[in-house]
Amino acid sequence: MGRNGLLALLVWEVIGRLGLIHGALPAPSAIAIKVWADRADYPPHVWATLQASGAGFAIGNLVAILAGMAFVLFPRLMQLARGVNIALFALPPLVVAPILSLVLEGMAPRITLAALGVYFVTMSATVAGLMHYDRRAADLVAAYGGGRLAVLRLVQLRGAVPAILSGFRVAAPNAVLGAILAEFGGGGRWGLGAYLLGSLGRADPARLWGIGLCATAIAGASYAVFALISARLLGSSRAISLNPTLPPVATQDPAWLRLTLGLGSALLPFALWWGVLAILAAPEMIAKTPLAVATYLTSPDTAPQAWARLSEALAETLPIAGLGLILGLGLAFALAVSGRLMPGFTRAFLPVALVTQTMPLVALTPLLVLMLGRGPALTLWVTISVTFFPAYVLMAQGLAQVPQGAMYVAHAYGARGWREMRLISIPASLPWAFAAARLTVPRALLGVMIAEWLATGQGLGALLNQSRGYLDFGMIWSIATLTVLLSVALYHAVLMVERRVLRRLGMAAAE
Amino acid sequence: MTAPAGIALTGLAKTYQGRGQVVEALRDVTLTCAPGSFTALIGPSGCGKSTVLRVALGLEPLNAGRVLIGGQPPEQARAVGVTGVAFQDAALLPWRTVERNIALPLEALGRDVSPHRARIRELIALVGLKGYETALPGELSGGMRQRVAIARALVTEPQVLFLDEPFGALDQILRRQMNIELQRIWAETGATALLVTHGIDEAVFLADRVVVMQARPGRITAEIAIPFPRPRAPALFTDPAFHQMEDRIAEALHGA
Repeated sequence: MGRNGLLALLVWEVIGRLGLIHGALPAPSAIAIKVWADRADYPPHVWATLQASGAGFAIGNLVAILAGMAFVLFPRLMQLARGVNIALFALPPLVVAPILSLVLEGMAPRITLAALGVYFVTMSATVAGLMHYDRRAADLVAAYGGGRLAVLRLVQLRGAVPAILSGFRVAAPNAVLGAILAEFGGGGRWGLGAYLLGSLGRADPARLWGIGLCATAIAGASYAVFALISARLLGSSRAISLNPTLPPVATQDPAWLRLTLGLGSALLPFALWWGVLAILAAPEMIAKTPLAVATYLTSPDTAPQAWARLSEALAETLPIAGLGLILGLGLAFALAVSGRLMPGFTRAFLPVALVTQTMPLVALTPLLVLMLGRGPALTLWVTISVTFFPAYVLMAQGLAQVPQGAMYVAHAYGARGWREMRLISIPASLPWAFAAARLTVPRALLGVMIAEWLATGQGLGALLNQSRGYLDFGMIWSIATLTVLLSVALYHAVLMVERRVLRRLGMAAAE
Repeated sequence: MTAPAGIALTGLAKTYQGRGQVVEALRDVTLTCAPGSFTALIGPSGCGKSTVLRVALGLEPLNAGRVLIGGQPPEQARAVGVTGVAFQDAALLPWRTVERNIALPLEALGRDVSPHRARIRELIALVGLKGYETALPGELSGGMRQRVAIARALVTEPQVLFLDEPFGALDQILRRQMNIELQRIWAETGATALLVTHGIDEAVFLADRVVVMQARPGRITAEIAIPFPRPRAPALFTDPAFHQMEDRIAEALHGA
């Protein structure tokens, strides 16, 4: 790996020095020189980003762990919160950033966005960790009169530590990404996001690269810190990526209760939205309640124009998001499968995949603009790059976890290579492929919107940016609502197909 | 050691909602174990013998019937530490040392562990694990883990000991050894023991009485007294009388 890395750096240097990519890809030495020249600029920006992401990380994780514990203790509460949880998972941070900066002040939007990026990952890791415990040990505690809390304290909590730690590991770069996005989308003077925004107009690729690499280094370092902690603490490193699924709640509740909980779960996100605005006492003109958004999208004064613009933007955004998603997933699957057939390849490639996964998208996009221009190719590339790597990591993990026994059976009958893959590995890793699809749906939408915002000037991303310029608050809130609903709908669509297919195959969803 | 308490199970009935059909796990199971006695519950897989034990521990609700441990319902009995339990897989918490695993029941009962330190050391010696006080379960062999589980079952000085196939996961050789040790430990504590097992030899060697269960519905079909005097020596395993007794139980099991 070290030799390959050095080789890559060398090639990059040559390409950069020769100016092969229209000067958009400066040589590493040029970037280093620029960073050195800018060295006085970095500390306050880095410090601001670290503060916001650190605070958001702490708050988000605290809430996530408490929520995870509550969900495990009261499964019905988890059913009720399901809508909120999925909405928080599907929430494109880009869309929330401008809204947060409308209703909150100072560091609060950045901290909130960082916390939002952390919550779902840690919460689902906590729930999964707490649900995977030794039933016999729990019986034992119960047999000595220990109640639910005693079981949680003595058996479940400590057992969940590895899962929670791997949650932290994935959540840490998310917090950095969230903070940078909020800095970028919400204004303010300090922070790497703000620095990036201020440097966009200067046509100085070396500086953009410097900021991008700095952001990546912070995100990567935060990942590495928790990887190291969990490796130290647990002696062995665990799964490198998390699968965003909430364990199914098996209850024998009567139909009316399930219906009520389902309905409550669908309504709760809106109630929460309303409640938060009420608590913040934000001005009505800026902070739109669900009712205000509904009015905006239905009243004859505003609706026709709003829908015309929204549908035009959607028609531009959705096809390319879909295409990028399919290409990203397909590529990831093809590569994961071929990696299984050629294990050396996976070993060399996985670290690259991990680095790219932690690379903040906002920082990446301006660089891609420099290299690819502002056409649909850029949008497609951004979308593929944000969907491909996490999907690849999940699928490679799935393929690596195919039961050995099943493999031996295939080998014993002479099935090797592709035939073994077709008979055993691919079907066995199907749950992971679905998990990858679920994970990447919201990311695809986010990727397209970031590219649209920063580069192409089309679709929902651009509409969002314009509406901010025109102070069209109704439109901003409508786009946010629509994107979240769309993400949730797509997530559910994948989930439905997944449940149907896996049930027919008698398999459980990957965790 | 406090005076042992008896076990009285009367008319236990339990049904599960299986896939589209009702499974009768227990039908009218009545079983009385005198204080200080050793009873073995034997039967084919799925006959409900583990369910009897879980019900007696108050871990599962009943459709009908009554459980009394030393005259108390199981929830009360366990709340004062009257019952001890060991399961088939040792169910040790991998992050706790041997000592702290043995202390787990005390913590579950909400008791202070520190006054029991000496007792825990004694128990570790009793099950032959001296020197392993601070070892983690991952560093122990299967047989050693099972000994820890036995020591853990004894930590509350229980008057009633429930053993759910405690040696089921061990190989035959180790199992014999553990049987001999369990007899010694039981004799030292004087507790009432109810052992659920698959092994006929184990049941005959350890118990005063073997209770045979059959499946669908789970019910008691035979009770056979084991008259061998105590303490029983390892030589008993090769005694012709022992084999006759095994054959009798096999007959009762297979309905010959």
